[in-house]
Amino acid sequence: MGTTDIGPPDYHTMLPGVIKKNYGKWKYHEIIRPGVLKHVSETGDVVYTVRVGSPRLVSVDFIRDICDVADKYCEGHLRFTSRYNIELMTGDIANVDKVIEAVKKLGLPVGGTGACISNIVHTQGWIHCHSAATDASGLVKSVMDELYDHFTNMKLPALLRISVACCINMCGAVHCSDLAIVGVHTKPPKVDNEKLAAVCEIPTTIRSCPTGAIRRHPDENIKSVVVREDLCMYCANCFTVCPAMPLADAMGDGVALYAGGKVSNARKPPMFSRMIVPYLPNNPPRWPEVVDIIKGVVNVYAEHARKYERMGEWIERIGWETFFRLTGIPFTEQHIDDFTHAVETYRTTTQFKW
Amino acid sequence: MDENTPLLDELEKGPWPSYVKEIKRAAKKNKAAKDLLGIQELSYKDKVTHWKHGGIVGVTGYGGGVIGRYSDVPEQFPNAASFHTIRVNHPGGWFYTTKALRQICDVWEKFGSGMTNFHGSTGDIILLGTTTENLQPCFDALAGIGFDLGGSGSALRTIAGCVGPARCEWSTIDTLNIVHDLTMEFQDEIHRPRWPYKFKIKASGCPNDCVAAIARADFTIIGTWRDSLRIDQNSVKEYAEKGFDIHKLIVDRCPTDALEWDEKKKELTLKPEDCVRCMHCINKMPKAIRPGVEGGATIMIGGKAPIIKGAYLSWVLIPFMKMEPPYHEMKELLRKIWDWWDEHGRTRERLAELVERVGLKRFLREMGIKPVPQMVFKPRANPYVFFDKK
Amino acid sequence: MNGEVTEALKQKIIEHLGTVSKAKNKEVAKALGIEKHLADKAIGELSKEDRIEYIYLDTSYIKLKGK
Ligand code: HEM
Ligand code: HEM
Ligand code: HEM
Ligand code: HEM
Ligand code: SF4
Ligand code: SF4
Ligand code: SF4
Ligand code: SF4
Repeated sequence: MGTTDIGPPDYHTMLPGVIKKNYGKWKYHEIIRPGVLKHVSETGDVVYTVRVGSPRLVSVDFIRDICDVADKYCEGHLRFTSRYNIELMTGDIANVDKVIEAVKKLGLPVGGTGACISNIVHTQGWIHCHSAATDASGLVKSVMDELYDHFTNMKLPALLRISVACCINMCGAVHCSDLAIVGVHTKPPKVDNEKLAAVCEIPTTIRSCPTGAIRRHPDENIKSVVVREDLCMYCANCFTVCPAMPLADAMGDGVALYAGGKVSNARKPPMFSRMIVPYLPNNPPRWPEVVDIIKGVVNVYAEHARKYERMGEWIERIGWETFFRLTGIPFTEQHIDDFTHAVETYRTTTQFKW
Repeated sequence: MDENTPLLDELEKGPWPSYVKEIKRAAKKNKAAKDLLGIQELSYKDKVTHWKHGGIVGVTGYGGGVIGRYSDVPEQFPNAASFHTIRVNHPGGWFYTTKALRQICDVWEKFGSGMTNFHGSTGDIILLGTTTENLQPCFDALAGIGFDLGGSGSALRTIAGCVGPARCEWSTIDTLNIVHDLTMEFQDEIHRPRWPYKFKIKASGCPNDCVAAIARADFTIIGTWRDSLRIDQNSVKEYAEKGFDIHKLIVDRCPTDALEWDEKKKELTLKPEDCVRCMHCINKMPKAIRPGVEGGATIMIGGKAPIIKGAYLSWVLIPFMKMEPPYHEMKELLRKIWDWWDEHGRTRERLAELVERVGLKRFLREMGIKPVPQMVFKPRANPYVFFDKK
Repeated sequence: MNGEVTEALKQKIIEHLGTVSKAKNKEVAKALGIEKHLADKAIGELSKEDRIEYIYLDTSYIKLKGK
C-alpha cells in the first residue's frame, strides 16, 4: 500500500512572497480598473491582482500556459477563486499591463471584479454526469458569450452572480444566486423491471422518494416497483439510489430559471433564488431561449435597480408582481409552491401592486 | 483530424474562452479526450447524457475520492468507455506555485485524459477521465508530489475557505489555517465514508461569505467581530470630498439604521449596539471603514442544496466562537455533531433534515448548547409546546 | 476526548474483529465501550500498521487483514 492520508500541501508553501510577508496585515483595497485589484498593507507593501476568466473545464496545456505567465511576471505563483477565475498577483505595477497582455494573447478575458457578472459557477452536465438533465459547460459558454461585456465592465447596479446546475442536485450555490439555470426533468422515471430486480434494493428505492410515489409492483411475481406518476415531481432521487429508474428524456428534459438569490449578508440577509421560468427546452448547442431570457432580465435589472441593489433586493422592493410585469415573463401555476414550506410563500396581506 | 463535431464547433465561436477548444487541445494528445469530444457531440445531438451510474472503483485504503464513470456507448467510443474522475484536495485558499501545478499536469498527462476542472464546485481539483487500471498509479504519483484525494460519498467533503488574511483586509479569522488544520485533523473522515450522507465545512472570513458557506456547508464558519467597526474620519472626508454620497449610499442603506452622517462636520458616526455587521458600509468605503478587532466566528449549521427535502440556509448555532489554533472547541463540537447525526440520521439525511425532523430543541439539548435569541429570527407563534413530562 | 490509544486497546480491537466478519468503527466502539473518536484513532493506527484493512460496501467497514 502506498502513502495515504498525507492531506493537501500546506498552504504556506504555496503563498507568494508578498502575501506571506503581509499575511493578515492588509489594510484596504481598491479596484483600479475592471479586473485589477490593488491591496495595500499596513507595512506599505502593495499587491496588484489581475483577475482572469476561465472556462473551468480545461486541458493541462491551459494550466501550463497560465503557469508560463505566472513564471514570467508573478514569481511563479497564482491562485484561483471560488468562481474559477485565475488570479495573477504582482507587487510591481509595471507588470500589470504585461500580465494583461499575456492573458489576452491566450484569449482570456480580464474582469470579474466589482459590479459585474463574474464567472458562472457550474457543474458537469453531459460532459461527465449520469444525472444531467442538461449540459453545463455549453450553457455557460452560450450565456457568457452574450454577457461578455458585463464580465469586463463594472456597469451594473451591483454584482450579479449566475450559476448553472445540470440537475436539481445542484452541485453549486444555485439556490442562492442572482440568476440560476437548473436542468430539470419533466417525465417520471421509466422503470426497467428486469434491471431493477438485479441491481436495486426495493425497500431503499421506495424509501428514496420524497413524495411516496414509489410502490411495490402489484404483481407479486415481478420483483420491481411502480411509480404513481401523479405524485412524481421528477427529482431523480430514486435514480440516484437505483440506476434502473432513468428519467432522462430528450423531449422532456430542459432547464428552469431562478432569480433573486444571494449569499452575502450585506444589507439584506441571504436569500433563496425563486423560480421565474419553470421550463425551457434543451436547445443545444446555444440554448437561444435561455440566453434571451437571461439577457432580458439582466437588462431590465440594470435599467431599474438602484445603485448597490442586488437582484433579490430590487425584486423585494418592487415586488414579484412588478418583476413579472417589467420582464414580460408569464406567471404560471408552476410558479406557486406546493412543496414542504409552500404556505410561507402565500401572500397574507392585502398589500400588493397592480 | 477527421472528427465531425458540427454542434460543438459552434461553441468555439464567441468571445468567452471555449471549453470545446480545450477538449480539442487535449484530444490531439490523448485518445480518451478525443472520445470525450465524440460523446459530448453525441449528447448534443441526442439531448441526453451518455454517462451511466458510477461503479465502485477506488484506490487502496480509501472509500472515496474517485468517482466511477462509464459511458453507455462504449463500442462507439472505446477509449472513454471508463472515464473515472479523481478529486484532488486543493491547498487552502487555492494558492499554487507553478511548480506544483506543472507537476499535477505531468501526472495527469501520463495517467489520465489531460482534462481537468480548476476547480470543482466543492473546491477540489477535478481530474476528469481515466481508466480503472490507472487509478492506483495516478494516486501514488500524486502522493509523490505531495497531493492527496478529497472527499466523496457519505464522507466529510473537501473543506474550503475564502482567501482570507492572505489577501483580504476584512477577514477576522485565519480561514486558510482553519481549513488546513481541520483537513489534516479529519483525514480519516474525508477518506473513509461512514455517515448517513455527505458533510461539508466551509469558512468565510467575513459576512460577505465569498465561498457561499451559508448556502453550501452543513457546518458554516463565518468571521465576525464583537466590538465596533472602525471608522477613519479623515478617509471619510476624502470620500465625501470626491463627491461620494455618503448619506444616500451608505447611511440610508444600513439595514439597521446604525449610522449617522453629519453633513456639516463631514463626520460618520456609528451606534455600535445597532450594527449587525452586514458589511455594506465597509464594502463601499474600504479605505474608511474596517471590521472590528475582537475577531472570531459565528458558527452555523444546516446549509445544503435541495436534494431531498429542499434547500436550506445555515442557521446560527454559536453566535460567537474564538478561533485560535488548535481549534479544540470547534473540533469537539464537530465530533459531537457527527456522532449524533451518525446515530440518528437516516440514509441520505443531511444534518439540517435530521435537526428539522427531531427538532432544534432536542439537538441543542443533546449538544449541550444553551438556547439564545440569536438563533432565531423570532420566537414561535403557535401554542403547541412540549414541556418535560416529569 | 480523553483516553490514549494503547497497544492493549488495539489488541482488544483485533480480538473483537476475530469474532465478526466485518464491523463499522462505531460498532467497535460500542462493543468495547469506548469513545468513538478513540476507536477511530486506534483503527487508523491499526490500518497504518497493516493489521486490519478497510472494505467499502456503501459505507466503511474494517476487518482483520487477510481474514
Ligand atoms: C422529504 C420529506 C417528505 C415529503 C416532502 C413527503 C411528502 C409526501 C407526499 C406529497 C405524499 C403524498 C400524499 C398523497 O398521497 O397525496 C406523501 C405520502 C406519504 N409519505 Fe411522505 N413525505 C416526506 C417524508 C416522508 C417520510 C420520512 C415518511 C416515513 C417515514 C413518509 C411517509 C409517507 C407515507 C407512508 C405516505 C403515504 C403513502 C401512501 O398513502 O401511499 N414521508 N409524502
Ligand atoms: C457519479 C456521478 C457524479 C459525478 C461525476 C459528480 C461530479 C461532481 C463534481 C465534480 C462535483 C464538484 C465536486 C467538488 O468540487 O469537489 C460535484 C458536486 C456535487 N455533487 Fe456530484 N457528481 C455525481 C453524482 C452526484 C450525486 C448522485 C449527487 C446527489 C445525489 C451529487 C450531488 C452533488 C452535490 C450536491 C454537489 C455539490 C456541491 C457543493 O455544494 O459544492 N452528485 N459532483
Ligand atoms: C390551540 C390554539 C388556539 C385555539 C384553540 C384558538 C381558538 C380561537 C377561537 C375559538 C377563536 C374565535 C374564532 C371566532 O370568533 O370565530 C379565535 C380567534 C382568534 N385567535 Fe385563536 N386560537 C388559538 C391560537 C391562536 C394563536 C396562537 C393566535 C395568535 C398568534 C391566535 C389569534 C387569534 C385571533 C387574532 C383571533 C381573533 C380573530 C378574529 O376576531 O377575527 N389564536 N381563536
Ligand atoms: C388552547 C388555547 C386557546 C384557546 C382554547 C383559545 C380560545 C379563544 C377563544 C374562545 C377566544 C374568544 C373568541 C371570541 O370570543 O370571539 C379567543 C380569542 C383570542 N385568542 Fe385565544 N385561545 C387559545 C390560545 C391563544 C393563544 C396562545 C393566543 C396568543 C398567543 C391567543 C390569542 C387570542 C386572541 C388575540 C384572541 C382574540 C381576542 C379578540 O380579538 O378580542 N389565543 N381565544
Ligand atoms: S448538478 Fe446534477 S447533473 Fe450536474 S454534476 Fe451535479 S449531480 Fe451531476
Ligand atoms: S423522480 Fe423523485 S418524485 Fe419521482 S419517483 Fe423518483 S424519487 Fe419519486
Ligand atoms: S469572505 Fe470576507 S474575508 Fe473572505 S475573501 Fe470574502 S470579503 Fe474577504
Ligand atoms: S456593517 Fe452594516 S449594519 Fe453595520 S453599520 Fe455598516 S451598514 Fe450598518
